[in-house]
Amino acid sequence: MAGIKLSAVKKIYPGAAEPAVKGVDLDIQDGEFVVLVGPSGCGKSTLLRMIAGLETVSDGEIAIGDKVVNQMEPAERDIAMVFQNYALYPHMSVRQNMSYGLKNRKMPKGEIARRIDEAAAVLEITPYLDRKPRALSGGQRQRVAMGRAIVRDPAAFLFDEPLSNLDAKLRLHMRGEIKQLHQRLKTTSVYVTHDQLEAMTLADRLVVLNHGRIEQVGRPLDLYRRPASTFVAGFLGAPAMNLIDAEVTGGALMLAGAALARGLQAEAGRVTAGIRPEALRLRAAPGGNFRLDYVEELGGSRIVHGHIGAQRIIAQTDLAQELSAEMQAELPLEELHLFHATEGHRLSMGLNQPATADPQLVGA
Amino acid sequence: MQTKRTTFRSWWLPYLLVAPQLAITLVFFIWPAGQAVYQSFLREDPFGLSTTWVGLRNYIRLFDSAEYLASFETTVIFTVCTASLSMGLSLLLAVAVDRMIRTASVYTTLVVWPYAVAPAIAGILWWFMFNPSFGILTYVLEMVGYDWNHRLNGEDAMTLVVLASAWKQISYNFLFFVAGLQSIPMSLREAAAIDGAGPVKRFFTVVFPLLSPTTFFLLVVNINYTMFDTFSTIDASTAGGPGQATTILVYKVYEDGVKGLNLGSSAAQSVILMSIVIALTFIQFRFIERRVQY
Repeated sequence: MAGIKLSAVKKIYPGAAEPAVKGVDLDIQDGEFVVLVGPSGCGKSTLLRMIAGLETVSDGEIAIGDKVVNQMEPAERDIAMVFQNYALYPHMSVRQNMSYGLKNRKMPKGEIARRIDEAAAVLEITPYLDRKPRALSGGQRQRVAMGRAIVRDPAAFLFDEPLSNLDAKLRLHMRGEIKQLHQRLKTTSVYVTHDQLEAMTLADRLVVLNHGRIEQVGRPLDLYRRPASTFVAGFLGAPAMNLIDAEVTGGALMLAGAALARGLQAEAGRVTAGIRPEALRLRAAPGGNFRLDYVEELGGSRIVHGHIGAQRIIAQTDLAQELSAEMQAELPLEELHLFHATEGHRLSMGLNQPATADPQLVGA
Repeated sequence: MQTKRTTFRSWWLPYLLVAPQLAITLVFFIWPAGQAVYQSFLREDPFGLSTTWVGLRNYIRLFDSAEYLASFETTVIFTVCTASLSMGLSLLLAVAVDRMIRTASVYTTLVVWPYAVAPAIAGILWWFMFNPSFGILTYVLEMVGYDWNHRLNGEDAMTLVVLASAWKQISYNFLFFVAGLQSIPMSLREAAAIDGAGPVKRFFTVVFPLLSPTTFFLLVVNINYTMFDTFSTIDASTAGGPGQATTILVYKVYEDGVKGLNLGSSAAQSVILMSIVIALTFIQFRFIERRVQY
């Protein structure tokens, strides 16, 4: 087990207009579960593959434990990787798949057998040990891929979008299993995904990447509560945060000529206001500022689509919410996020917003 | 697996559409094959004036003939050498191309060229290079102290036809191997690299086993190639000689039938050859193909 330290890591592909990774600094603690998340082409997979040694590092330094690994072969880095397509050897049985990496490292036979039995028991794949991968379902293949990583007992696990080939239900299930597995093994893990929900639920620490740069690093709830930019604000959360053009005048947030919130200590001028759909309070009121367009029923709650002035706004409400064509929208001040209108970074509002948000465990 | 099925409105249209292919198969394959089987039971004089039914005597005589049995041995040696040489070399070239990124297409085009050369031309080409009097390779060999003469030395002659035949088949094998290698997902090799297998071990434990369907297919094609299509290469370079050193079965059919005008024996030989090919193909597809599936 070991931490991973990235210092000013860059990746420049020959012939590419701009670097794929533009200088990333990241300190991953021993035993931490870090999720790299971002849209396609943000450099998250490239970063992971550089840690694995499957891509060369153009500039900067990667250290696993206290060893700089820039020049090391993937095999020498003491990491195990779970691939998106599982990358199971199709001509080998499950047992052979799992033992391949151990045999190559000249581990004694007894030890190999012990480790495979142990991992197979944990992952509940013991009945399939002598099958070929093609005789397994997607979820079983996924477990075997994880088993192949576990038996190695490496310094770190690297996951490259491991759940994206599974159907929605199985993905949810395997997500839970990966979380439990990490709580049990406490091995440093780096996990790449483009699914913000997967990222939020799995991460000890979340790294949001955009255009080869880190946008924000932090605990998932901190990022959700205090996104550092419109990019992070829009990326995390479903339905996505409303990002609307507004104006601050005299301490009030003005939208379509009416104040949506008052008492701001922000500089006057144009801003981007961020409002979580679940934070918006609606009240049926003829002549209100919110015009209802349509409603999506989710069963447990509903999503209300409407507009204030010319701006489209989504609100998530519970089923008790009374709906009418015209409603008054209000926003508690502590739920408002302000961003720079052009640069997109977070603006201070002089409010004492909670900086951290830990789930409180009763009796903990 | 679901296959696409076309439904025709009229019953005769499908038959009409396959008729040209059927006609060609009948006229050029089935009919001559039937003729050969019939003729193998006859003894005829060269002009076809007298014909005697001799039953299986043509076959019995063949298997009593040391010359014919020697031709069997020559064929086995020739086939094994040519197939392994051309497949081995083309696999080596394909692996080399697979590691290249930028120049791969130029390289591929160059390697594919020999396939466009007619077999007889290939024979002549190598015959020139190895010509005992003026061949450039003979000259080089002489410098290192080897006296090459495929007109006198049977082993030299065998080497020559094996080289010429293998050279021609490399391009074909190469294309299939390149395609086969490219269909192996990159992530499998990466997984193997992380699993601590070096490049050589990676090749033999992961890449080569996954290539086995391609290898098997090429084995069937190459064996058939060496047994039949090498006729013109041999005819143009050694003409089966010296002595019987490079007379493979298909060349002997030609020699006895066309040159020697021993039609009955030649027909019997073709029938034997045909059964060998049917048997080989059957064995290969029935038994070996099952083992290369994964």
